[in-house]
Amino acid sequence: MNDLKRIGLEACVLIAFSALIGLTLNYQLVLDAFSGQLSAPQCQAELEENALISLPLPAMIGDVQQAIAFGGLIVDARSPELYTMGHIDGAVSLPMVEIDAVLPEFLEKIVRDRAIITYCSGFGCPDSFDLGVRLLEAGYLDVRVFEGGYPEWRDAGLPVTGESR
Amino acid sequence: MKSMSRIVYHLARLALALVFIYAGAVKTQDVVTFAGHVAAYQILPYAMNYLVASTLPYVEFLAGILLLLNARVRPALMVIGGMTLVFMVALTSVLLRDLGIDCGCFDPGGGENVTAGAALLRDVGLMGLVVLTWWLRTAGHAGCGTRNEKSQNGPES
Repeated sequence: MNDLKRIGLEACVLIAFSALIGLTLNYQLVLDAFSGQLSAPQCQAELEENALISLPLPAMIGDVQQAIAFGGLIVDARSPELYTMGHIDGAVSLPMVEIDAVLPEFLEKIVRDRAIITYCSGFGCPDSFDLGVRLLEAGYLDVRVFEGGYPEWRDAGLPVTGESR
Repeated sequence: MKSMSRIVYHLARLALALVFIYAGAVKTQDVVTFAGHVAAYQILPYAMNYLVASTLPYVEFLAGILLLLNARVRPALMVIGGMTLVFMVALTSVLLRDLGIDCGCFDPGGGENVTAGAALLRDVGLMGLVVLTWWLRTAGHAGCGTRNEKSQNGPES
């Protein structure tokens, strides 16, 4: 039993020592990841495959939740007024009606390999799709469209922010 | 019979050593891509994927080196066995969720494309090797490397 304890202790030391080497060699990467400066990691093959597709792929409500959990960016394509009234918790506003004015700042701030999901006012609304196309054209590698949009998210009882929820 | 056991022990030890040295070494070359493979399992929050990708390959590599050197064999086996068990649980969860991802077990950028099912079978084999090596080591079939059997407090495990 004592022998097993000693082996376990030595195994722990081995793990700690190896992890320390790994952290020392990659501390900047880990630091960036924990300070939120890195996007959700993706396989290179996946990024390249998505980049070949010129139209944004559809995302379901579960994909939006997953993107939020894994550091993806949710983008509201509706007008600033509608965004202020209520939007998906954590979403940023990039109104399609003012796209030429607001896109340059967005391009400066958001790295091209970050996962992005756009949405607007539901299935009858073309803005999220149009915005998705614009973002793909701008060089973003992983852009999807949540076609159910704000109504589906709100009606599912998921977290929203705004004056009139 | 004793010499046969010794040969089997050393073959199993060297096989495990080479597998884990290779697995660790290739992943350290592209930590970000490996983080992508870890993220594909959809188990950890996103920052933790980078933490795991930054540390796990070094644990695999050093454990493999110890096995290769025939030093601290049982602690290295315990670490490798523990990691393999965790991989098996993760792969089982991938199969249950029908995620259809590449396992990312070895070369992250090499387009390995090993399914979760195949990787799970491989891990069962590796776990078998770990158990066999541990048993042969503990039973004293390791030949010259059995100093621990002679002295409970010796440096070798």
